[in-house]
Amino acid sequence: MKRRLVSLSGTMVLGLGLGLAHADDIDAAARIAAQRVAVGTCATCHGPQGHSLSPKFPVLAGQHAKYLVAQLQAFKAQTRGDPDALGYMWGMAAPLNEELMTSLADYYSRQTPIAGPTGGAALITRGKDIYQNGDSAAGIPPCGGCHGAAAAGTDDFPRLAGQHVQYVMKQLRSFQNNMRNVAVMHGVARGLQLNDMEAVATYLQALGP
Amino acid sequence: MQHAQWIRGAWILLLLLGLGLAAPVAKAVPSFARQTGMACEACHTVFPELTHFGRVFKANAFTLDNLKQVRDIDATKQELLSLATLPPLAAMVQVSQTWLNSPLPDGTGGPGKSQTSTVGFPQQISLFYAGKVAPHVGAMIQLTYGNDSGTIGIDNTDLRYANSVVLEHERSLIYGVSVNNNPTVQDLWNSTPAWGYPYASTNAGVSPLAGTEIDGGLAQDVAGISAYVMWNEALYGELGVYRSAKQGAANPITGAAGPLDGTTSNVISGVAPYGRVAYEYQWGRHNLEVGVYGANFKLLPGGGSVGTPAALSGPVNEFRDVAEDFQYQFVGDEHLFSLAGTRIHESMRLAASFAAGAVTNPSDDLTTIRVTGTYYYHRKLGAAITHFSTTGSVDSGLYPAGPAPGVITSANGSPDTKGWIAELNYLPWLNTKLSLQYTTYTQFNGGDNNYDGFGRNASANGSTYLLLWLTF
Repeated sequence: MKRRLVSLSGTMVLGLGLGLAHADDIDAAARIAAQRVAVGTCATCHGPQGHSLSPKFPVLAGQHAKYLVAQLQAFKAQTRGDPDALGYMWGMAAPLNEELMTSLADYYSRQTPIAGPTGGAALITRGKDIYQNGDSAAGIPPCGGCHGAAAAGTDDFPRLAGQHVQYVMKQLRSFQNNMRNVAVMHGVARGLQLNDMEAVATYLQALGP
Repeated sequence: MQHAQWIRGAWILLLLLGLGLAAPVAKAVPSFARQTGMACEACHTVFPELTHFGRVFKANAFTLDNLKQVRDIDATKQELLSLATLPPLAAMVQVSQTWLNSPLPDGTGGPGKSQTSTVGFPQQISLFYAGKVAPHVGAMIQLTYGNDSGTIGIDNTDLRYANSVVLEHERSLIYGVSVNNNPTVQDLWNSTPAWGYPYASTNAGVSPLAGTEIDGGLAQDVAGISAYVMWNEALYGELGVYRSAKQGAANPITGAAGPLDGTTSNVISGVAPYGRVAYEYQWGRHNLEVGVYGANFKLLPGGGSVGTPAALSGPVNEFRDVAEDFQYQFVGDEHLFSLAGTRIHESMRLAASFAAGAVTNPSDDLTTIRVTGTYYYHRKLGAAITHFSTTGSVDSGLYPAGPAPGVITSANGSPDTKGWIAELNYLPWLNTKLSLQYTTYTQFNGGDNNYDGFGRNASANGSTYLLLWLTF
């Protein structure tokens, strides 16, 4: 599987989702198998129906299937290198085959996302401004350019609405220091100060579907 | 006469308490990490304390695996075999240095004193098979060499079957069976005795007289089978029974491993029921468990020899243990905190010992309380503090005085022992722990000053313990 670089224009993808089985191709048995794995294994960290309880683990409900498959492939290939990827997901993804990855991703993409807890008003205002308009002085482009105005994401860019503050901040720091080696996000996050990260993450957590 | 009475009391005491008080305690098992491909932190805050993920992994019979398997299936794709190409083996080494606050009396009865410090090299070495055995079967089997026994023997062992179903509203139900050799070793929380704090302690100190049976009194001396369910990874229930499964015991007539007769001591009459209910609630990075557990052991004293026969029948000593426990955890990336506690109340009906004149009262009670707070920074630097307390009935037969300085005696027949343990930990790597532990007693075997009647104070039994603990 080839990796492709990512650009803000969206012509390149974050993930590796090439040659995926289409969701319509997933048969009933695969859906049942995915549900069983999701409820019996993934839910221990990612929560019921992908609504994780601990901010250490990302909310998966409503996440785009293609993005999820790309991440699972990156875990399995050990090309995603942030600390929790090493500690948890390299092992978890190792035995997954393409069919299960696809059906698991389909399962989570079908779950209904919800808004997370609301943070401080000042943080949300600042976060919304950065998300929508960027910060040209700091060289930060508007996040919504890729992730969508409502942070609902696309096939190639993840849904961020409703995601945990701590998880988003941790990923931004991982992009910043290249532990999670995604060139475009490294460029975006490079100029972000910690308080701005928190502001953007707080804004995103409170966003509903 | 007084000396003979003391000897008899001590003997009965050993029978009653078993030899499990000095049993080695909790472990951590890197073969699970090898099997799952996941780092220690997935299952442990810092070993051996389990996270929620670790508890569910255990409830699922240690079967989550990511290793290459040797497989076989039948024509219906039913799995006939799923065996890791590499066995889930692990080892553990403990090296320690203990300094007692005060030397012990010389065992010869003379004016000499013992050394105050002891080197344990090793204090303990263990070999584990810990991981998946078959698609729904897992095992944690531990063989341990201890420098106190100087031998290798069976340690905590837990064989499990587990499966799960998805219920309505996508709730999970895990159900399983555990066959194990230590009541509570199958438990999922670190608030119960087998995996509770202190996770390691000196074996070169002075242990108090009293402890409840479920608190390690029968460890590695029994075999239990229990069935359990875990609903929605939150509500846990378990019922089981234990029977005696003596190690190193032999029938005197045949020389075979059984059947047990009156030459064996503390044999469970029939089966001892065991039960456990717990509920765990999670919110954010926090989780809180509250639960109850208990067992009822009826022990036949036995303990006779060819010269002094003792039938393995008749009156029993009954120990009814009812306990409550709780565990709170905050599991952050930077800061980790936990608070765990248990209160075990034991009601003793000592018909057998009372008839033999070995105890003063036909019934006694004993209550143990332990509360431990633990903090870690980045899983590297940590501290823990514990308050422990065991109090109970005064019984000069059960907790006898000695005729000479003896340390493990009680001048007033009381088991009351209280104190604190403070510990500092440093983990340069997740599987390598360096601990400095200080134990102090404010009361020991019923007294703070002159508890043994020969001038020894409770504080003399305090100790400082330096431990290097490697798991690999």
